[in-house]
Amino acid sequence: MIRAEGLCKEFERSVRQGRKTRKEKFLAVDHVSLEAKAGEIIGILGPNGAGKTTLLRMLGMLMTPTKGRVELLDGEGRALTDPSERKAAIGYLSGNTRLYPRFSIREYLEFLGQLYGYDKEKIRERIKEIFQVLDMEKFGDNRMEKLSTGQTQRASIARCLMADPDLYILDEPTLGLDILSAESIISFMKQQKDRGKTVLYSTHYLEEAEILCDRIYMICQGRIVAEGTPGELTEQTGSRNLREAFHKIYDSAAEDERYKNMASQNELYESQVKRNKPVMARSSLTADHKAGEGFREEVQRSCQIEKEDKGRSDKERRDGEEWV
Amino acid sequence: MKKVQILVRKELLDILRDKKTLVMMVAVPMLLYPLIIIGMALFFSAMYSSKADQVYCIGYEADEKAFGEELERVLEKHRDDLGTEIELVPLKEQENCAAWLEITGAETGVMRVTIHYTSASQDSRIGKQAAEELLELYRAELVRQRLEAEGLEESILHPVEYEAEDGATLTESMGMDMGGSIGLMLIATILLGAMYPAIDATAGEKERGTLETLLTLPVTNFQMILSKYISVALFTCVTAILSLLSLGGSVLFLMYGIADVGTLPGLSLTALLGAVPVLTAVLLVTALFCSALCMCFCVFAKSFKEANNYVTPVLLAVMFASMAGMLPTVVLDSRTALIPVVNVSLLVKQLISGHLNLALAGIVIGVNLACSILIIWVLAKLYDSETVLFGEGFGSFRIFQKRSEIQGGTIPAPGDVVMTVAVLFLLILYVGSAASVRLGFWGTGVNQLLILLVPLAVVWYLKTDVRRLFVLRKPDFRMIPGSLILYFGTYLLVLGIGNLFIWLFPLSAQNVEAVFLPMVEQPLWALLLVTAVLPGICEELLFRGFLFGSVREYLTKKGAISARTAVLWGMLCSSLVFGAFHMSLVKLLPTALLGACFVWILWKSRSIYVTMFLHFFNNSISLLALKYPEAVGRVFPLLTKESLSPTQVGGLLGAGALIAALGLWLLRSSKKKPGALS
Repeated sequence: MIRAEGLCKEFERSVRQGRKTRKEKFLAVDHVSLEAKAGEIIGILGPNGAGKTTLLRMLGMLMTPTKGRVELLDGEGRALTDPSERKAAIGYLSGNTRLYPRFSIREYLEFLGQLYGYDKEKIRERIKEIFQVLDMEKFGDNRMEKLSTGQTQRASIARCLMADPDLYILDEPTLGLDILSAESIISFMKQQKDRGKTVLYSTHYLEEAEILCDRIYMICQGRIVAEGTPGELTEQTGSRNLREAFHKIYDSAAEDERYKNMASQNELYESQVKRNKPVMARSSLTADHKAGEGFREEVQRSCQIEKEDKGRSDKERRDGEEWV
Repeated sequence: MKKVQILVRKELLDILRDKKTLVMMVAVPMLLYPLIIIGMALFFSAMYSSKADQVYCIGYEADEKAFGEELERVLEKHRDDLGTEIELVPLKEQENCAAWLEITGAETGVMRVTIHYTSASQDSRIGKQAAEELLELYRAELVRQRLEAEGLEESILHPVEYEAEDGATLTESMGMDMGGSIGLMLIATILLGAMYPAIDATAGEKERGTLETLLTLPVTNFQMILSKYISVALFTCVTAILSLLSLGGSVLFLMYGIADVGTLPGLSLTALLGAVPVLTAVLLVTALFCSALCMCFCVFAKSFKEANNYVTPVLLAVMFASMAGMLPTVVLDSRTALIPVVNVSLLVKQLISGHLNLALAGIVIGVNLACSILIIWVLAKLYDSETVLFGEGFGSFRIFQKRSEIQGGTIPAPGDVVMTVAVLFLLILYVGSAASVRLGFWGTGVNQLLILLVPLAVVWYLKTDVRRLFVLRKPDFRMIPGSLILYFGTYLLVLGIGNLFIWLFPLSAQNVEAVFLPMVEQPLWALLLVTAVLPGICEELLFRGFLFGSVREYLTKKGAISARTAVLWGMLCSSLVFGAFHMSLVKLLPTALLGACFVWILWKSRSIYVTMFLHFFNNSISLLALKYPEAVGRVFPLLTKESLSPTQVGGLLGAGALIAALGLWLLRSSKKKPGALS
């Protein structure tokens, strides 16, 4: 089981204003809290650039969050703290996790087995098992640079399976695959769910998500804008299917953005603070979401500081700024 | 460690399966040395023999026919004595002749010859030399004849006989001639050998997209980078050994295959063989150093191409440093042994000429090893940063942005600071020295203006808040007494340390003094202006304002360390550069100490005017001691004495330390006096 609280990741981006371009900081992931239990498939949906990959990277321990924390529990409910232990408990797969072209699948799996500390006998057994399950005996000893797209994808899955992790984090695993390869991945996820594993995965294919996912988080500009089972989401938005629900939710989120008439979350934040106004409550389906609370609190705190600051003389403030 | 071992095995296999790396590692050293060494030997011997067989034509034009006939007669007589085959042609035929002789003197009866030749042509130079030899022979003959006619002994012309004999053995002279270039070649091959695996293991990993996969594994970033370094270093070591074997093979082939060893007296094979273990050790250490250096730059790159771009300057810099061995005047001593790469090149030269100084070789190995460890440490730090791992590249240069894109109040980033210092250093080296040569004393003032203008230009470009960076503000007067006492204590310490150095390096200390002596003749106001007022303003703005301010603010902004630690790092950087800028090893430590003291005073008093005044005061005292030694000597006898006794130096150091400690104590407690740290 994995639980995240108030996850934030700050990046820099260039913003063009008239003829000038300047760098500004923004939150690619903005106070996201989520939970995935054992035996669940959780879908993360959102348009390109919404922050899905960054979120999954933080959950997979590839990136350190700027703020917030991730808690990982093993099968017995024990919290894993050792980084190596945690990484071994996560099977992370994305479009960017490529495989070493100059190795064969078998060699690579042997290398992984050694890293996980298995003995030779166990490594051999495990590889045999994985080859059978994924039907890889025929190409298992070829170098990976010679494999087809579908075979490569299966090799990637084999990589995740080697440690038999409790949690799978899959970043758009079916992207660009033919129907057969995609189906093999989907059936893989279902199998893992049946084995009581947790699967967290992001996708653009809504039909796929509708059938597969137990719960869905929709994210937009780094924030969760909707959350629930596929049925709940369609029902709440009065739609016929998830695709329609998705459109409605994102239209409303975009409307929200336009209403605020702000280019970015960062500017909104800054300008609100400058004008000494509390930030408007965001109209989303999860208005009472913890993340939103945190955000509001933070802004109010900043405003408080601004107010106190006004009380001090100009000179004092200048001096304070200069040497701290 | 077990995980590192597994990772190393994986990296090694991965690199080994890359054919390009293998070619660079094996084929290049195995082919390069035989090709270069044997090829050069064959080429030179072929060139030499072709020159030896050639007949050089010398034309001549004489106003008296007898002169020409005389010369032809001498040539016939001494043809075998001349080193070069020549032929005299009684016409000036410039196209075919290597040189031509213009012979005059018909009226006086005394022959006068002008040799016309072009120094740009090798043939013409040889022709000129042969003609000179011929004329010399002719003159000797005439002299002998005349002496005989007068009935005098020939020895009357040669009261002293002398002859030069080369005491160097062949090994030594060969070492001098070839040692430098062999060192360069060895270092270059090692560097090339390191480059490819280094790029493959860092940028290649990113380009192939396997880095993110690697990050999902249960290994720490440190284990990852360590295993990568170990594999790259192993490969580079193999390259180094192969180079050495190939070099040895080529040399042996040259000695036994082409030349007959019997005909090379003094070439002692045993002396060369004795050097092999040391040579191997040094090359292995160089391999460690080069791999660390290459990897340090490659981690920033996202692709092979980018990594190549980053490594090329490193390649050039290392090659340039390794050319030190080719300079005839530079030898390995306790000082040159401290510079990495340069010391390797010099040691190789020394080893090949048959000398072995184990102590110096030990220093060379130690220095390169220490540098490698330092670079690996930096590498490990770099590899922990997400910007490097996920390929954002260099973020530490702001000066390369367009000025219109720079926000107001930008603080120079570390890259900007390093570049400013480097540019300034070069400017002082070239423009400054040129100014000193042309303007003499006033050239020093030009240096100071450079020190002022370069950082000001950078600060203007970056739109930095000048008042804030340079701390141009009213001092906190409560801190003044402490500051003065701290300065006074430090001054005594600097004086004591300076005297210690006079004992340790007497010669260099005298050199330092000699630089200042000619200045004494200048009028006092000019001296004060150029060596006290200007440094007080310009150097303070650069070292305390720009350098310390930028480093401190950058580190504080990053937020990973406390304000106090940021100050200490800023102090370290600023004072080391301050010391180095005085361009003398003897003065490095005392100057750096003074710099550190000024930084602390600036930080506590919160005003650059205080340190400007102290810097002015400091320089004025030294100046006055130099200009009016008697008067100053009466007031401060310690200042003008040539050398102090050990007790006096000990006293200075002790008193200095005590007073400085008192100063620091007075400047402490920032919390109770809210002025200092706010």
